[in-house]
Amino acid sequence: MRDAYLVGAAQTDFGAFPRESYRSLFSTAFEGAVDSVDGEFDRTEVDEAYVGTLGVGGRQLGLSGPAVTEFVGLDGASCTRVENACAASGTALRQATLAIRAGAADIAIAGGFEVMTDMSGDQTRYWLGVSGETEWERMSGTTFAGVYAQMADAHMAEHGTTREHLSRVAAKNHANGAKNPHAHLGFECSLEDAMNAPGVADPLNLYDCCPTSDGASVAILASEEAAEELTDTPIRVAGAGQASSRVGLFQRPTLTGIPATTDAAEQAYDEAGVEADDIDFAEVHDCFSIAELMAYEDLGFCEKGEAGPYITSGTTEPDGERPVNLSGGLKSKGHPIGATGGGQAVEVFKQLRGEAGDRQVSGLGRGLTHNVGGSGGAVAVHVFEEGWA
Amino acid sequence: MGAYLSVPSWWRNLDGRYRLELGQCPDCGAHTFPAEGACVECNSTADFETVEPEGTGEVVAGTTITGGAPPEFADLQTQEGSFGVAVVELDEGARVPGMLTDCDPTTVERGDRVEAVVRRIYEQEGIVRYGVKFRPMD
Ligand SMILES: [Zn+2]
Repeated sequence: MRDAYLVGAAQTDFGAFPRESYRSLFSTAFEGAVDSVDGEFDRTEVDEAYVGTLGVGGRQLGLSGPAVTEFVGLDGASCTRVENACAASGTALRQATLAIRAGAADIAIAGGFEVMTDMSGDQTRYWLGVSGETEWERMSGTTFAGVYAQMADAHMAEHGTTREHLSRVAAKNHANGAKNPHAHLGFECSLEDAMNAPGVADPLNLYDCCPTSDGASVAILASEEAAEELTDTPIRVAGAGQASSRVGLFQRPTLTGIPATTDAAEQAYDEAGVEADDIDFAEVHDCFSIAELMAYEDLGFCEKGEAGPYITSGTTEPDGERPVNLSGGLKSKGHPIGATGGGQAVEVFKQLRGEAGDRQVSGLGRGLTHNVGGSGGAVAVHVFEEGWA
Repeated sequence: MGAYLSVPSWWRNLDGRYRLELGQCPDCGAHTFPAEGACVECNSTADFETVEPEGTGEVVAGTTITGGAPPEFADLQTQEGSFGVAVVELDEGARVPGMLTDCDPTTVERGDRVEAVVRRIYEQEGIVRYGVKFRPMD
């Protein structure tokens, strides 16, 4: 099998940008990714482009992929728009990897974009509901936060997870995001403030929830032969896993975890020939605080039910054994749906190359990204390693 | 179609909306709600036997929504301040999502017994849509 290498990656600032369009955001991310390539990158050599977007607020345009790739001069390249809710660009990343492994492309890009902040609150809530099970779950009156709140409720009842455990996710990720110049909510938040924030969907409060953001991300992947021309600091896609599950929580076998995460991680670990213990650091999908805790368990970082004590132990802090969400995660960095999975790859790219600035952690050789669509209907997990195969 | 449910697509499912009709799998015997698609237990696509459940069960997960209700339920949230939404495991085994009614939702806990009652769900296009909500039993 041919290996795929990550040779460039960048994201825009995540936040609220009323003066930007989906195309200008994508362009900023793309040019940033081109600039991040060590060697001379010729955009006319892009064979395949995969672009993730949900199309929030009625932007579910036909041809939204080519609409952004033409804007950055990729006219002619094969382009496919990918939709997997919040896992759209994680899915795009896997498609680009597969295209290179299959020999269908020597250079492929994977990216995504979303514009979410220029709508009324009503519209945003309407569109976020589109990522859940719409006929029954949504019609029971629940919100996206409500579904994760139900998982938190069950996790607390079954495993003794506490309010403090949830808020530790917010406090940690805000501390990390405060060091990330691209973060949407780049400020620190004390554990006490996180615990006492106003309620949204019990047991989740405002600080258990990520923001909705505008933004874009782009990753450039290359075959080994192409990568040798483009970089001296190769980052190999060692494992690319993906799985699906029932879209509605009520139809899944567990309320306290995301089965598609376990399935996708198992594939990614198998491909990379590693185990969970071998992962040095991770960017996980913390759309809600409980989601990060469940990810620890579903990815195998700790035993089932032990996520609360695991975060309390400090293992996932920047100075811990396995830092998680050094970028600030969705919680602090922001969550422009279609751009989120690509944004996770950007952080891993920077950390592995020693280019993460104030939040750089030394000695990292293997990173993981975990991107979830909806409440677990689709999950993509990637393992990245420093160096040639 | 998005998240918007047209009147015909609501009516298509009235046996599920009013009576929580379940599908029993001929291969493994498990009950699936709603009674269509693949079996939640074994993924069999063999035709379900439709079963009308007792309508009683147990709360297995719940939340009280205090902010950001979907537009269909925004008025309800304004009027009531908050409302409860649970996943209920029916006595037949299938899990069903439903709103809580006739109670203070903050007092409902996992393990509590509830029963299905038909209530107004929401109004759209001038048509009131009815369906099942869950009421605590004591
Ligand atoms: Zn079955």
